[in-house]
Amino acid sequence: MKGRKTVRKALSGDSLYSFCVTLFLILFGIASMIPLASELALSFSSKAASDMNAVTLWPVGFTLESWKYMLSQLSLWRSFWVSITTTVIGVALSLLINVLMAYPLAKSDFPLQKALMLFVVFTMIFKAPTVPYYLQIVKLGLRDNYWVMVLPHILNAYNLIVMRSFIRGFPPDIEEAAAIDGCGKFGTLFKVVMPSSKPVLMTVGLYYGVTLWNQYHNPLMFVSDTKLFPLQMKIQQILNSGGDMVAITKFADVNYTTATLSAVVVIFAILPVLIVYPFVQKHFTKGAMVGSVKG
Amino acid sequence: MKKSVNKILAGLMAVSLLAGCGANSQSASENQSPAVTQGGAQNGSGDSHEEEEVVLPEYIEFQRDNPGFLPVEKDGQMYNFYKDILGFGVIMPYIEWNGGTTYQEQINLRVTAGQAPDVYVVVNGMENQLILDGAVLDLTDYLQEYAPHCWEAVDESIWNLIRKNDPTGQERIWYVPKVFDYQSHGAMIRQDWLDTLGLEMPTTQDEFVEVLRAFKNNDPNGNGVADEIPTGGRAEARWMDYLFYMYGVAMYEGFPCWDLYDGQLTYSAVTPNMRDALEWLASLYKEQLIDPETLFNDKAAWDGKVSSNLVGIYYHLPQTDYIRAMDIENATGAKADFAVLPAISANGYEGSGFYQAVRSGDPQYVVNYTEDPGRIIACMKVLDALYDLDNAETFKFGVEGMYYTVNADGKKEYLPEDKSRQERLALSVYDTVANEEIVVDMLEDIRSEENGWAVDHSIRNVREIQQYGRIIAGNNIPNTIYEDYEDIGARTLYVEYASKIISGEWPIEKFDEFVEKWYASGGDAVTQRARTWYENLNN
Repeated sequence: MKGRKTVRKALSGDSLYSFCVTLFLILFGIASMIPLASELALSFSSKAASDMNAVTLWPVGFTLESWKYMLSQLSLWRSFWVSITTTVIGVALSLLINVLMAYPLAKSDFPLQKALMLFVVFTMIFKAPTVPYYLQIVKLGLRDNYWVMVLPHILNAYNLIVMRSFIRGFPPDIEEAAAIDGCGKFGTLFKVVMPSSKPVLMTVGLYYGVTLWNQYHNPLMFVSDTKLFPLQMKIQQILNSGGDMVAITKFADVNYTTATLSAVVVIFAILPVLIVYPFVQKHFTKGAMVGSVKG
Repeated sequence: MKKSVNKILAGLMAVSLLAGCGANSQSASENQSPAVTQGGAQNGSGDSHEEEEVVLPEYIEFQRDNPGFLPVEKDGQMYNFYKDILGFGVIMPYIEWNGGTTYQEQINLRVTAGQAPDVYVVVNGMENQLILDGAVLDLTDYLQEYAPHCWEAVDESIWNLIRKNDPTGQERIWYVPKVFDYQSHGAMIRQDWLDTLGLEMPTTQDEFVEVLRAFKNNDPNGNGVADEIPTGGRAEARWMDYLFYMYGVAMYEGFPCWDLYDGQLTYSAVTPNMRDALEWLASLYKEQLIDPETLFNDKAAWDGKVSSNLVGIYYHLPQTDYIRAMDIENATGAKADFAVLPAISANGYEGSGFYQAVRSGDPQYVVNYTEDPGRIIACMKVLDALYDLDNAETFKFGVEGMYYTVNADGKKEYLPEDKSRQERLALSVYDTVANEEIVVDMLEDIRSEENGWAVDHSIRNVREIQQYGRIIAGNNIPNTIYEDYEDIGARTLYVEYASKIISGEWPIEKFDEFVEKWYASGGDAVTQRARTWYENLNN
């Protein structure tokens, strides 16, 4: 009797609402996991099972062959290294440049603030067309250059505005107090403002990180040296290599297919993001709100 | 007002053309290796004493599809291999292929930046714009002298066709074509299934449908489950061409083609033949004699079904069916015998059934515009090598230890494919020139103890399919007929109607609406162009 009452109570009003929302989100979460789980299962399945499309959510004909083959590929690790380093270096540089630009732009007493802001917004609306962009990058000597995967991504107008909005909301009194205590502009920025800006740094850092990690279009246009391929290009290369090739090659007796190998690479590429994301998430929610309320 | 606008436009075009030329000549000189002297280029007279000064470049860049092999880089093994044969190196940096789409974008960007490869494959009709932009070299005056093998290998009628297809209207030769002189595509039927069920090879439409029914209902793969898929294909109503051929519908890998209907060159998709074919396909689909997932299958899914001992008849290349047979043996232990399904004519279309012959004359390679005589000669040498059958074996096996070993009998033997250490076999005669004997030789080369039985079936099938090939009237019709009507070229409307009619979502009556819409949305203009082209060609 008591139990029924509790249930009824729990299901009434707000609780019912949050129960439905939670249920919906759990279902949504599970639905989002399905493709990942299916890829994971495929990566551990045999060639025969893959050929027969027999794999759904559980490995069929369990084998580690695909993983063994892929992880023994030097080129995959090289691409992994390229992606890791471009992401780490890129995020560090991006944050530095963003902070250095966002800080003065957030100050209304900075004389060039409006003019510079106009330039920033301009680039948000008008993007360079492909051909001039290509020519410009080539002219800068960035073709087949490692830095083409870092430099063009360093400043993103949207992220800059998010950061500027956050800094604008920083209480001016604290900055004044720092100035009175003899802190210069750079000192204030790096010793006072930055340490309190963790949420926005994390958020913007994550935005940059994801862009850099997932970058595909830039290297596709500018990198033909396979040693410089980032992970996403490598994946595409592997996915395509089993395409419509009609060439007759010797039949190799192996226990993997293009599909199982692709599954390995897909999981391989998602893993780092999956690992990093939970650590950044709590800051992310806080920081992502910044741009939405303060303009 | 209009006149002055025209003048301005003309002026702008002239400026951009000049700029284009500037970029080209600049790129030519930039690409030159220091060893190249420019004597011939400066005088441009081509006098014999000038020609002696011509020095070949250190290397040239060649481009075609690379399905994941290592690139060919300067001073690498394949680079030196080509250098030994040609006298100069060949590089082939990696460009993502992606069905030709990404490749096309990349090449176009590089052409714009003045960094185009020296010799490269063209896809999807991209050569037309390149020709109009002056980005590629006019080969007409060089072929005979510097690429004699190419000149000889291509039939005169094909050269004429290429001249007629010149988008500048000057009847020049801007590209070299594929020379595919054999029937490459065909439908393969499981002879072992026919035998198991005690059926004869079908030769009429009725017999064919009966065989499909038997495949579906009588468990020919013997696993006790009714999991057989009598036949099918891939998304966008592709790779079922043979079902359309029964009605005399011209089609290439799912793309409707141009052929003579009622004596007039017509797009096969808008003919009564197509209407009847679609109506019949819809009835097969309804009876589940066609894979219910046929309109969703991608290559991997469809190949996977064939490889899993589930499919009775599939349409592809007989020369590769041994791969499917080996897959089936590995997965299930069954020794599948794929045999050629004869060309069948539908009821009321007696004598119309055929297999469409592959299209010799398709644009294959172009040469980047350059004025440097050394570079021109080097490029022509590459073209020549690609048509020289004496090179075929050498190019096919590449570097010893990378692609092949020599066995005890002194015979070259392929090593298993390993894309992580094999550089792309950039130059390949067999991708440019192929005929029945060449294909059979290639199959002989890969025969081993384990796959011998399956390869023998492939060889038999390659021989047998030849009798059914027919070249359609619209063979090699240029893509320029679709200019300004890209949707028609991409057959968007056709795919929608064909898919929905086959799947039963729409009744066959909708087909008439499709024909109307097709003509109204540019089909009229395209048909006009196609017919003009055909008339010019045959006059």
